[in-house]
Amino acid sequence: MTPLLRFRVAAFPAWRVWTRRHWGTGGRLLLLGISVFVVLFPFLWVLAASLKPPTEINRPTLWGFTPTGAIWAEVWLGSPFARYFLNSLLVGGITVGISLAVGTPAAYAFSRFRTGGTGLRFLILAAQMLPPALFIIPFFLMAYHTGLLDTVWAVAAAHLTFIAPLVTWFLIGFFEDVPWDLEEQAMVDGCTRWRAFLRVVLPAARPGLGAAGLFALIMSWNEMFYALMLAGGHSKTLPVAIAGYWTFRGVDLGKMSVAILSAVLPVLVVSFFVQRFLIRGLGGGALKG
Amino acid sequence: MSQRDRALGRRLLFPLLVLLALVQGYPIAFAAYISFHNYQLTALDQVRWVGLAQYQGLLDNPSYWTATRNTLVFVGGAVILELLLGLALALLLHWPVPGQNAFRAIILMPMFITPIAVGLMFRFLLNSQLGIIPALLRPLGLDVDWFGPRLALVSLILIDVWQWTPLMVLFLLAGLEALPTEPFEAARVDGASSLQILRHLTLPLLRPVILAAVLIRMLDAFRVFEYVYAITRGGPGERTETILFHIYRVGFLYFRLGEAAAMSFTLAAVILILVVILFYILRRQEAWA
Repeated sequence: MTPLLRFRVAAFPAWRVWTRRHWGTGGRLLLLGISVFVVLFPFLWVLAASLKPPTEINRPTLWGFTPTGAIWAEVWLGSPFARYFLNSLLVGGITVGISLAVGTPAAYAFSRFRTGGTGLRFLILAAQMLPPALFIIPFFLMAYHTGLLDTVWAVAAAHLTFIAPLVTWFLIGFFEDVPWDLEEQAMVDGCTRWRAFLRVVLPAARPGLGAAGLFALIMSWNEMFYALMLAGGHSKTLPVAIAGYWTFRGVDLGKMSVAILSAVLPVLVVSFFVQRFLIRGLGGGALKG
Repeated sequence: MSQRDRALGRRLLFPLLVLLALVQGYPIAFAAYISFHNYQLTALDQVRWVGLAQYQGLLDNPSYWTATRNTLVFVGGAVILELLLGLALALLLHWPVPGQNAFRAIILMPMFITPIAVGLMFRFLLNSQLGIIPALLRPLGLDVDWFGPRLALVSLILIDVWQWTPLMVLFLLAGLEALPTEPFEAARVDGASSLQILRHLTLPLLRPVILAAVLIRMLDAFRVFEYVYAITRGGPGERTETILFHIYRVGFLYFRLGEAAAMSFTLAAVILILVVILFYILRRQEAWA
């Protein structure tokens, strides 16, 4: 056998393995590329619409126009949009603050002492899943009778219905991941259980607390049903404001696009910090993240 | 566990229970009261007991049944498509490819966005005059009316698929990563094909995660509101009238609060059944005390 032929025989299977592996990778990259395109295209489209001059807005093109920041300036400076942005932050801040304050000790009690047992765990899960339709009528009437209609307080109170149990549920898993030894050691060193919780367990669970808080903030920021019914006027939140750009009265595509991107971009940035904690949190500690 | 720990547990839990009693317990009792009375904002001095009349009224209300049917079609269609697509994407993302983390982060993006923005983006993209998608399809001879009587509900399902397939991907990826490696190596050694491994090994092992993800998606899909509100408002006719949108219409556009409250209890009953199943699955996953 000549050396050349020997080389070919030896190389042939290697070549086949190479094509199989790399064709497979290429195929996968192609499919993933298509998925990424499907995900990103709507954003690109809305971004283009937000930069188009008014004469171009009704033509379905993605490029070939002179971009202008005029609509961005008009929405942010020439309308109460900044106010709605602030309303959303206020509602989210109030809701998440109260939820963390109340949910953290409860989740700790549950993960360490099983206070309330199975019944309580079920209550916490069910409480975050109940449909908003159940609460909206009483909340509307209560807000109406107390004069809180169209205030951020009414919306924040309604958001507490699902966000307080959500935060509690989320945190159970993260407290369970903090080893018992940590606080036992602190108690041997003379701390009470409560001080051990504050000094040792809370710092150890900080990533989970951060993820729970940010996720809850996103949920409150995105919520529209309660906000629409309880605060449609000057204390409306961003989702309600966005909906207002396209109604039966008319549509302003440029402004709507600016509003959508303004509401969505901060959330997308925050979401990258939350993603890897979500499974542990949503499963209430039952699923590995 | 010491007596003192038990007492501390109860004290730590107390604030959450007070909060839930205020924002959930009281409103639910109020809603129940309203559902048994003819409660009208314009005639609060004439509120009287009507018993189960408003629940019985639902049975002969064709709109209620249309909305129920639409919601079931929506939930079923959306969740099945999301599961299939989510499984494919999770398997794709599970294999090492260059840029894996970037692909993953981008593909998960849609689930963090406020649904009203998603609804309006697609109303824009699919609009027969202004939208890019009909404009691209027309040269191909496809003149599709996405929000016409035939396709409106299907379009809403596809929008839901765009937004929520990422949640399936998130759960299934976490499930895939938590699987033990030995059975897969053994199967390869025994000469099993990829398809056989998927059917007889991967899917059965993933079953609990799949069930949990499907239930969480179902619970959420039952309260679909934003896409309907953003795009079709229940139309054409009643083709996209969903339960939550119907409750909104009856309660807040027609101000028949009692009827709306009765409907919300029937929805809550369905949701609670699903929550019980989800709880059971999660509980078996990790033997909770």
